[in-house]
Amino acid sequence: MKRLLPGIAVMLLIMTGCAKEPLDNLSSDEARLYITNRNDSVSFSSYGTFRITDSVAVISNNQLQEYARTAYDAQLIEAVANQLTQKGYTRVQAGTTPDIGITINRVYNDYSGVISYPDYWGGFGGYWDPFYWGYPGYGYYFPGIIGTYTVTDGAVSIDMFDVKNAAANNNLRFVWNGLIRGSGTFVQGNINSSVQALFDQSPYLTRN
Amino acid sequence: MLSALLLTVAGSYAQKGEFRGTASYSAAMPLGSFKENVVSKTSFRGVDINLLYGISDKVSVGFTTGYQDFYEKYPRQVYKLSDGSDVSAVISNSVQQIPLLATARYNFMTEGAIRPYALAGIGGNLVLNRQFLGEYTNDNTSRFALSARPELGVFIPFGKESETGINVGAYYNYVRYNKGDIDNMNSVGIRLGIGFPMRN
Repeated sequence: MKRLLPGIAVMLLIMTGCAKEPLDNLSSDEARLYITNRNDSVSFSSYGTFRITDSVAVISNNQLQEYARTAYDAQLIEAVANQLTQKGYTRVQAGTTPDIGITINRVYNDYSGVISYPDYWGGFGGYWDPFYWGYPGYGYYFPGIIGTYTVTDGAVSIDMFDVKNAAANNNLRFVWNGLIRGSGTFVQGNINSSVQALFDQSPYLTRN
Repeated sequence: MLSALLLTVAGSYAQKGEFRGTASYSAAMPLGSFKENVVSKTSFRGVDINLLYGISDKVSVGFTTGYQDFYEKYPRQVYKLSDGSDVSAVISNSVQQIPLLATARYNFMTEGAIRPYALAGIGGNLVLNRQFLGEYTNDNTSRFALSARPELGVFIPFGKESETGINVGAYYNYVRYNKGDIDNMNSVGIRLGIGFPMRN
């Protein structure tokens, strides 16, 4: 009977499969977050015009790298402008002082983690019979494989400032911020839907 | 494999002084705030193993372990965070429960084609509770939670003389777990497995 126990254990594992790994069960679209913040004390209908910087600031590990205008950046700028136009605001170009100023930033932060594979060998004896090496009956000894990895987590940040009342406020007051974060953020094909999501979840952001 | 079991196992059901094991597949349905706020879906990914020593032919004591994996992915929705921001996210909740229970079993009958039993386990569950907002980890908590588990079931031997047979049980799993809007991680479950004597 004891000899049957490993068989029963293996049978149970096959029947149940492994635990569902949540991150493996996410599509790229599902992995993204859309986060918005607003200034509660401003009335969005009090603004009429907006202007967007014509390039995007690239910020890496809290340091400004460059101002860029890739095809991605250009599409992102236009997507934001289109949304604001649909909300009733009028776009003005450089040379005209707008009510709202918008800057767009690509933000990258590196962080490292540890990836370990102790389960691959742990207690299992490996997938190869030790007999293969001429040592039948021997077990395997193998320490867990530990590796480190560095990933870059990126986000797009869209910031809106109150230019209209800058003199009165004595600063450029924060009005609204939208953040796109996660897998596929920097894929051009996702720009329109991501920007749309930010504005859809901010129904208060309208001139009307 | 079943025929092999039938051939190797014979004799009467006299468990006194002997170890018996039961290895089962288990499914569990969350209840209460576990169901409402964490995972509403029934888990079909579970294993239950118990090893019991017969102190008489009717009563045996030992321990229970295993695991149950609960998981649910909620469609994209906008959530209000405490700092006032709105976040649109697909939320995934993943909970694993690993019971470690002192267990006692009472067999109402020691012979017959269907032998009902009652079983009670008390101890704890190692609970791994993870929440993801999109691909980002929002919560990752491991906790040992006090637990109790009453169970009713039947043992159906493979043959009149067989000590090995099918074991079917239904249980209530009380898991004390209090965190945020989770009051407990209780569930009801069923298990289907094989009960066998632990000897050659």
